[in-house]
Amino acid sequence: MTQPVTAVSESSLLAAKVKDFGQFLQRLLRSPSAKIGASICLVLVVTAIFAPVIAPHDPTELGVGPILQPPNWDYWFGTDEFGRDLFSRIVYGSRLTLYVGLIAVGISMTVGVLVGLVAGYIGGWVETALMRAVDVLFSFTETLIALAAVAVLGPSLTNAMIAVGISSIPFYARITYGAVLVEKNKEYFKAAQAVGAQHVRLLFRHILPNILSPIIVVATVGVSVAVLSASALSFLGLGAQPPSPEWGAMLAAGRDYFKRAPWITTFPGLAIAITVLGFNLLGDALREALDPQQRT
Amino acid sequence: MTRYILKRILSGIFTIWVTTVAVTLLIHLVPGDPVQIMFAQSQSTTPEQIEQIRSQLGLDRPIYEQYFMYMGRILQGDFGTTIRGNQPVLELLLVRLPNTLMLALSALAITMVVGVTAGFFAAYKRGTWFDTALMTGAIVGISIPSFWLGLMLMYVFSIRLGWLPVAGTDFKNLILPAVTLGLANAASVSRLTRSSMLDVLSQDYMRTARAKGLAETLVLSRHALRNGLINVVNMLGLQFTYMMGGAIVVENVFAWNGIGRLAIQSIFQRDYPTIQGFILIFATVVVVVSIILDLLYAWIDPRITYS
Repeated sequence: MTQPVTAVSESSLLAAKVKDFGQFLQRLLRSPSAKIGASICLVLVVTAIFAPVIAPHDPTELGVGPILQPPNWDYWFGTDEFGRDLFSRIVYGSRLTLYVGLIAVGISMTVGVLVGLVAGYIGGWVETALMRAVDVLFSFTETLIALAAVAVLGPSLTNAMIAVGISSIPFYARITYGAVLVEKNKEYFKAAQAVGAQHVRLLFRHILPNILSPIIVVATVGVSVAVLSASALSFLGLGAQPPSPEWGAMLAAGRDYFKRAPWITTFPGLAIAITVLGFNLLGDALREALDPQQRT
Repeated sequence: MTRYILKRILSGIFTIWVTTVAVTLLIHLVPGDPVQIMFAQSQSTTPEQIEQIRSQLGLDRPIYEQYFMYMGRILQGDFGTTIRGNQPVLELLLVRLPNTLMLALSALAITMVVGVTAGFFAAYKRGTWFDTALMTGAIVGISIPSFWLGLMLMYVFSIRLGWLPVAGTDFKNLILPAVTLGLANAASVSRLTRSSMLDVLSQDYMRTARAKGLAETLVLSRHALRNGLINVVNMLGLQFTYMMGGAIVVENVFAWNGIGRLAIQSIFQRDYPTIQGFILIFATVVVVVSIILDLLYAWIDPRITYS
């Protein structure tokens, strides 16, 4: 008797979920922000994958052209003080940017979500200790946490990625924690608990899938925050080191030739701004599509 | 209210205490021997000198003893000396701190004026081209890295037009860094203000004010802006924290002689006593100013209670 009822309710649940997803997709596709944001992100991904095909020169090869050439037909973004082609460097830099964004978000999301899940689910002193630690981290800026992490680990692109990842953990922890508290009081969770589901199953099979939406939104905007923070660290000399074609490091190197060759600083800055804009627009559009009531 | 103030102060003290523990542990988290790393750049240091420094920093003692030693020194105002030059760390930080505060507070004023004005008018003209233009400008503004914005402003106003100096520490030199830092954050404040103003504008008391025939300017200034500003004051604490963080980067763009610039130099030199002092001072300033601003908010809006 129980079996058919479960089957019916599961299939209707699936149908409802498919319908929800369809509506979400429709809302997303209607949004101009989503279209522009997704296009920018797509261009970034394609550029990163096909960098060797798109870039006319090796990004680190010296003297591919005359030094400090302004943008022209041969060197679209001009050349730098070593005669390297800036367009090729920016194209290859997209790989580093994407890599930094995804790894840093991966670190902060994994740790932050775990902390939020555990704190919200277990409760008691574990909750107090974890969320108090998150509050303390929250009261400092991400920049300070990232600087402290780089001070410990030493300047390099990998360490900058780790530092940026650590600095954003509190955001994910807080958002997950808040969502877990809401889900814990819902009927489905209480039902799963009543039938004796194990803790791990309750956490990862029941709670996690239901709180993924806000996490995805935070992660999308998180990529833009990570790209900004990591490029700032590289600009300060604490991230990627020369001759890496990382955009922040390129910008820093161009400062010495600022008066004579402003294009060395202009193009990497534009590349960072456009990338960050893409992820911000996509994040905004996702937030609105997932929660249309919040739309203003 | 007294309960709120007490709780807020206690939470601030707790945060500063956690920072002191973190700062003591910091040097132990460094992969390898921190003293060797600190002196790696100077060839002339002998093994005896290195051992002497190790004992000076207390690194040869158990970690809890190091913590109490460090705290004892901190409470007496002794933050140690720099690795190169043997200068007192606290003095170096305190000389530069007013510059950083001046930059952060000027930028905060710019952020608030620009951000709140833009957010207010965007909400008032909701759905019009004006709103769309302002909010498009805001999302573009959020996406521009502050260090790049700073360099571009420097290129236009210092190099091309020659109106403002490139670097230095007097008032004229403050304009570009403050505008850079202020504008970089004004974008996000304008978005927050817009959504909070939209909420205020749809309240019943707004309809009542209009229904009783008040002039639109009075409705906006007495009812909308006054209520909307409560939320703006609420943002001040968090925005100040962002300004302090942003100042670290902007100081390095404009060679502004603040603690952020000193921090980056000391990370390069692996000067751990200075890095530790910087983190401690930075955290303390952020916590203290945030408490003051939060209390200001509680004073302005008596509905607030600590939960």
